[in-house]
Amino acid sequence: MLNVYLFQVLNGLGLGMIYFLISVGLTIIFGLLNFVNFAHGAFFLLGSYLCYTVVTLTGNFWLSLFVAPLGVALLAWITEQVLIKRAYHLPHTFQILITLGMALIIREASIMIWGPIGKSVPTPAGLDGVFRLGSFAYPEYRLFMIVFAAVIGLLLWFLLERTRFGALVRAGSEDTETVSLLGTNIFKLFSLTFALGVGLAGVAGVLSAPIRGAHPFLGEEVLGIAFVVVVIGGMGSFTGALVGGLLVGLVQSLMTTIWPQGASLMIYGAMAAVIMLRPYGLFGRS
Amino acid sequence: MSTTPTSSIWRGTTLLAVAAVVLMPVILPSPTLATEILIFALAALASNLLLGYTGLLSFGQGVFFGAGSYCSALVMIHWHFGLFPALLVGILAGALTAFVIGALAIRRTGIYFVMLTLSFSQMAYFVAYTMSSVTGGDNGLLNVPRPPVSVLGFELLSLASPLVFYGFVALLFLAVFVAARRVIHSPFGSTLVAIRENENRASAVGYDTRQFKVLAFVLSGAITGLAGALYALLLNFVPLSNIELATSEHILIMTIIGGTGSLLGSLLGAGSIVLLGDVLSALWPRWPMLLGLALIAVVMFLRGGLWGGLLDLKNRLIRSPEPPQPDTRQKDAAQ
Amino acid sequence: MSTVLLQTSGLGKAYGNFHAVNGVDLCVRAGTIHTVIGPNGAGKTTLFHCLTGERRPTSGKILFDGQDITHRPAHKRVSIGMARSFQITSLFQELSVRENLRLAAQGRDGARALTFWRPTEARRQHLEIADQILERLNMTARANTPAGDLSHGLQRVLEVGMALCGKPKLLLLDEPTSGMGIDDIPLMTSLIAELGKEHTVMLIEHNMSIVMSISDTITVMSRGQILVEGPPAVVRQDERVRSAYLGEEG
Repeated sequence: MLNVYLFQVLNGLGLGMIYFLISVGLTIIFGLLNFVNFAHGAFFLLGSYLCYTVVTLTGNFWLSLFVAPLGVALLAWITEQVLIKRAYHLPHTFQILITLGMALIIREASIMIWGPIGKSVPTPAGLDGVFRLGSFAYPEYRLFMIVFAAVIGLLLWFLLERTRFGALVRAGSEDTETVSLLGTNIFKLFSLTFALGVGLAGVAGVLSAPIRGAHPFLGEEVLGIAFVVVVIGGMGSFTGALVGGLLVGLVQSLMTTIWPQGASLMIYGAMAAVIMLRPYGLFGRS
Repeated sequence: MSTTPTSSIWRGTTLLAVAAVVLMPVILPSPTLATEILIFALAALASNLLLGYTGLLSFGQGVFFGAGSYCSALVMIHWHFGLFPALLVGILAGALTAFVIGALAIRRTGIYFVMLTLSFSQMAYFVAYTMSSVTGGDNGLLNVPRPPVSVLGFELLSLASPLVFYGFVALLFLAVFVAARRVIHSPFGSTLVAIRENENRASAVGYDTRQFKVLAFVLSGAITGLAGALYALLLNFVPLSNIELATSEHILIMTIIGGTGSLLGSLLGAGSIVLLGDVLSALWPRWPMLLGLALIAVVMFLRGGLWGGLLDLKNRLIRSPEPPQPDTRQKDAAQ
Repeated sequence: MSTVLLQTSGLGKAYGNFHAVNGVDLCVRAGTIHTVIGPNGAGKTTLFHCLTGERRPTSGKILFDGQDITHRPAHKRVSIGMARSFQITSLFQELSVRENLRLAAQGRDGARALTFWRPTEARRQHLEIADQILERLNMTARANTPAGDLSHGLQRVLEVGMALCGKPKLLLLDEPTSGMGIDDIPLMTSLIAELGKEHTVMLIEHNMSIVMSISDTITVMSRGQILVEGPPAVVRQDERVRSAYLGEEG
């Protein structure tokens, strides 16, 4: 019996880490660029589909874990150059509408390329076994997913807290003018940050593909969850994205067997409550 | 999102709306398609009151639409309500949900306001999904009747024929259109525009802006609820998708592409998108991609939407020596 | 001496341990032009925000025309006769000058504008007020210009004009010449002097030549408290005022 709970908790952690990766990208983009990206879920979807294609062509999941996020980030960089950078100064309402349009285009293009029916991705070779500890057994891939997402999270933390790039991003989210006075090309910094944030959604898309596959309407579902996480954790907060992601993942996982719609009701209810009672989230700054 | 309501310029709009409503069943392949256009035009017009005139981007429109269609359908199925009482229930359901969601959401502004409407929209969807014994859940609510027009128990007119039903919807649409124009040119409507332009200032000159925003929500919800009720009558069925976030997005897209801040724009937006979907969905199922492109294009280059574009074109043709003035001023303080 | 229109007693606004305004007893007499000056950080803006209702004081009282308005929200101060202008121009940029003024006039009894079934024209009195103010501001020719297209100086004038539309007993002006070019300043000075004949005016201002030429009473603030108060001639001579300002510069 205890093993069943442990199983669900681990599942929740895995889901939570995926949500963390998506949301931290969204939150970084919001924090530095003050940009609301409603296409974030669509880029996640693209990550899953690219993973499917690479795995189908080469049979190599590890290659896809490298190539797909880069592909997503590259596409994000191109859209940033062509469109997004012209929208930074616009009110949030307009940003939402523009990225909503982008999400539509990405979704429809995905259906054109990969068809309307979802694709499944096989569990990578070498991780298709089961990890055993006494009487407890857990799929190896899901454990790997948790560890890998944690490593990415650590690297990201290191990047944001310990490098010059991170210092500029953090300074920029406080005050863009100062950063441009420091002689940094602020536009380059913005483009990189946007590509990085979206690339993280791509990583999450690849990691989740062997479990959930790739389906055209996954993007919208994920976008909603990502906003819940970002709002609960506090817009722009790294810690908030981690804690919020894990919370949402755990709630969803523990409720799946009892009442899955109840989980969605709960998390969206929590989002509304947080905005009304504590608009800057659990870890945000006012 | 820039048009100022000045009645003198807009005097012809009602005539144009009447002309469109008369011509549509003649030009379009079926009266049913024309009816669908008018129903979504109502929804877009209601969303325009919030987005175009008050500056509020609400993802709650699908909830009001769904509430209108579910409630009116339920009272017809279970309690055998007649046509007008059922429509009234739809209107009240839309107004009431809009009051609740609006009153809560306007406690915040900007992105947090949008996120609140988004979360209420998602919650409403999951509630409708879960209460499948009432709403039919994923299967939808089946066997919705279309009662005849009757007064005091006397049956006056059956609405079974698509053309007659179109006529009925068209009369309602025109009534709402005229009423909405009146609202826009009322002290209330001008105050909504003031709130859109500069809420802080509106408050400083004496308006309790919350009251105005809530009332805008209620009016918008009532009209959207009516549209939802009519949609249930049209389909004889209420799909779960009525209350989905996608419906809110659909309504918003029609509003924006048609032109925010003009009521005829909403008719134009609903008309072109419903028609486009009807023509293209068989030929090219991926046509929503065009909507994505159009949405981006309108926000980046043509803030007045299709209607604004037409007005520009008209001005250019009539007064050719004087170049038209594209409205490029950005409102960076709009939040 | 005339009656007191606005009075604060022990007014304070604290942010944690920092007292931005600390025990201010201010007395604005009806029919006067009363200016609050002081070095940066003296607390004038916070005081002003407490008077307009933008900030809630943490201690003390505000009495206006005999009523306690300490905790009344900003929009409810208009109907009892207070009106304000903003330091940073705050207009309905895309609406015409006349519509800006009409909306301001309509705001005086704000909740009555909720009537969504009446045409705007049914309430002629607001348009009439707008036209009177247009004439008064000498802007009738620009009535249909979008407010955002006016020169900066005229936008400042319109800013004051909007406050006038509420037919206020007390005009609160937040640095009316802020950001105005040197050529436009006499326009504003004469406007305020003119207004002072019919209204009670309380303003915050940095430009000393204006302050000295139009004020009946000057209150000098420093570190959240009132340092000196009196007519211009007295304030000009006061040693403490000089050192407060010198302290700021040095």
